[in-house]
Amino acid sequence: MVKQHSEVKAPSIHLRVKSAIGKVFNEHSYWVSFVIILIIAFAVDRSFFSWGNISTIFVQASVTGIIALGMSMVISAGEIDISVGAQVAIISGLSIEVLNKTNNIFTMLLFALAFGAIIGTINGLLVAFGRLPAMIATLAMQTICRSIINHLGQGGPFTVSKENFDTFRMIAAGTLSLGSIRIPYPMIMFIVLSLLFGLIMSSTTLGKYIYAVGSNETSARLAGINVKLIKITVFLITGVLCGFSSWLYSSRVMAVAAASAGSAYEMDAIAAVAIGGTSMSGGRGKIIGTFLGALMFKIINVILTMADVPTFLNGAISGSIIIVAVLLQNIRNQDR
Amino acid sequence: MLVEMKNIVMEFGPMRAVDHVDFAINTGEIVGLLGENGAGKSTLMNILAGSFLPVRGEIFINGEKVHITNAKQAMRHGIRFIHQELNLCKDLKVFENMFLGEESKKYGLLNKKTMREKSQEVFLRMKVDIDPDALVKDLQASEKQLVEIARALLFKSDLIIMDEPSTALSNKEIENLFLIMRQLKQEGVSFIYISHKMPELFEICDRYYVMRDGKMVADGNFSEIDEQQITKLMIGRHLEDQGFTHKETYSTGEVVMSVHNISGKTFRNISFDLHQGEIIAVTGLQGSGRDGLADAIFGAEGYTGVIIVKKEAFDQKASILKRMKKGVAMVPRSRKERGILNDLSICDNISIGYFNTQHKSMLIHHSREKERYLRQKQNLSIKSESPKAPVTSLSGGNQQKVILGRWLESGADIFVFDNPTQGIDVGTKFEIYHLIIDLAKAGKSILVFSSEYPEIIKVADSCMVMYKGEMAARLDRKEITEEKIMYYSTGANREGKKNGETA
Repeated sequence: MVKQHSEVKAPSIHLRVKSAIGKVFNEHSYWVSFVIILIIAFAVDRSFFSWGNISTIFVQASVTGIIALGMSMVISAGEIDISVGAQVAIISGLSIEVLNKTNNIFTMLLFALAFGAIIGTINGLLVAFGRLPAMIATLAMQTICRSIINHLGQGGPFTVSKENFDTFRMIAAGTLSLGSIRIPYPMIMFIVLSLLFGLIMSSTTLGKYIYAVGSNETSARLAGINVKLIKITVFLITGVLCGFSSWLYSSRVMAVAAASAGSAYEMDAIAAVAIGGTSMSGGRGKIIGTFLGALMFKIINVILTMADVPTFLNGAISGSIIIVAVLLQNIRNQDR
Repeated sequence: MLVEMKNIVMEFGPMRAVDHVDFAINTGEIVGLLGENGAGKSTLMNILAGSFLPVRGEIFINGEKVHITNAKQAMRHGIRFIHQELNLCKDLKVFENMFLGEESKKYGLLNKKTMREKSQEVFLRMKVDIDPDALVKDLQASEKQLVEIARALLFKSDLIIMDEPSTALSNKEIENLFLIMRQLKQEGVSFIYISHKMPELFEICDRYYVMRDGKMVADGNFSEIDEQQITKLMIGRHLEDQGFTHKETYSTGEVVMSVHNISGKTFRNISFDLHQGEIIAVTGLQGSGRDGLADAIFGAEGYTGVIIVKKEAFDQKASILKRMKKGVAMVPRSRKERGILNDLSICDNISIGYFNTQHKSMLIHHSREKERYLRQKQNLSIKSESPKAPVTSLSGGNQQKVILGRWLESGADIFVFDNPTQGIDVGTKFEIYHLIIDLAKAGKSILVFSSEYPEIIKVADSCMVMYKGEMAARLDRKEITEEKIMYYSTGANREGKKNGETA
């Protein structure tokens, strides 16, 4: 006992440095991984930090990145949503139909948001009131959405009509010029939404309640939190974000193939959250981590392409990276 | 000398649960292990049974040094532990539970016939009528306890440890248990018997050991001591205790909460009034419905009937949040599972109550959050270093203070404390008693659900005793004694005279 006390009072410099480094690794591990990946990227491609390259990565990361923001909330609340990819397929397919009928980009956006909200609410109701495990509820939802859009598409794609083509294309392809640099709209959307959700999670009661529910449902309930409402809310928000993402996705591809649209987006979103250091069992995590996670995931793809890794092996490598990221997390959690 | 424990030390984090303890038991002896809750009895026994590995100390069996690192090894040494909380799998049958981990097999397959027969045999010996094929979840609490005991009798053992085996048993069942114990004692089996019920201990045990605050304070023969002396040894008491019991009541006589004939899954027909500044204790043994009543009052469990809080009637549909907004707060039992938000910081754990009841603006002001933290840190003397530190970095007592701070920040004035000092070291326990009394002094109204007699005597203006879901007695301050509480909570007034004689 006595010996331990003296150790606590006067930690050696070595220990202090170690604990400071430990703190960075513990609290901000995503920054560490982000920097490492940037260094690797720069080593592989000296022109990596060109504006063109960076903005392209942002554009590529935006569609799944925006979904990952919602996924971050769902996972922080201790749940999971694997229906997001199929949601993107059905929402983007049908909202293109809406666009073609109304010729109004914003009606289309409203439709997409509302449709996402409905799907998300159903997911939330099934989990909160139906007490279905989120994995099962959203797996079923995924199958349902995909099947319906496949049926409606009957093999052919949903294509944006000619009269809307030029205006709608600019949602994803347009840029905001700031002097000599041109910032793509999707990049702005992704950054703005990330800031918004970062604020929600860190500085609103909703954010605190989400972490509380993910941390310990019983304790949260006994602290007066409406656990069911929080669960429905996170699924609803994820649905709305899927709606927004679908709008952006439609504008990027202009023709949505029912069978393949948004496929594996749930995996990309979950991967971004996991790499970003959010605890998979809920209660802990930061939006900035997810934001960087989504970027890292795309950067890894860029690196692999640059390094001439065969395309079909990309998945094997990014999969391994996810495993390593979450393994590191578990090791950290054991220390607690 | 069958079993000897020498110089045992056990620590949980900063807390020393067992402090250099020696213990010994002979062949064919029944030893009573006494001490208040949290004195370290269960921890010591868990060490003997291999559930915990001691920080220091040695165990000898028949003079030979042994290392017991898990329950299986303990069983191989002939040691069986009947746990206080029931460790049965509720979806399995009775006989499957009894043979769990030690199934008898034939050609590699389960031999259900033998297992059934053997279970039946043990039940016959115990003179109880339990169907080995019944599902455990369909059994009464007392039957579950009997199954737990039967499990230990199933295999030949040399030492059986019983941690409060009789809490849910009727007097008749206890008599039968004692009969078997005496019979086995003749055969050379030893028992360690942990109980709070004095008459039982004096009836069945040969020798006693008394623990207090992790230390072994006395041992000897039951024939050479009486109840008063042994109680004194158990309570002993530290400096803080002197002149502690608060004598005056702070009740203003104004009714703030009125419980009208409510019934729930585990309790029936409960009615009482709580006045401003009053401290009422509610006690009862495990399974008396005490837990259910506490949850119902806070709206965490369903009930029939109404609870009127400051002229507003709440039926079971009224949410927890609604009650909180009316000033009701609960510091729940089982702090780890039901109280703290373990992933959140100390600061957030405090603020969450305020967020729910008072927070109006869109964003959280982090500076005001910190103010709240500092206010409660000082108010409750929480020993913490930073508001951002995880709440799990605090000791149990400080975590409990954080939860109390949460409710103080929510502006509550009716406090339900459910087992507030569970797993908290003695020093902090007294701080919490003081805090409870200070709250009453400040005009808050308080319900303390507790199983700890010293706690009740220290803080309560009056005490309600529950038995099998009903209010068995209401004692005012002058009437509160350990004997009386025991008398009513064991149902002695209804079921027999045995315990009654000592009351």
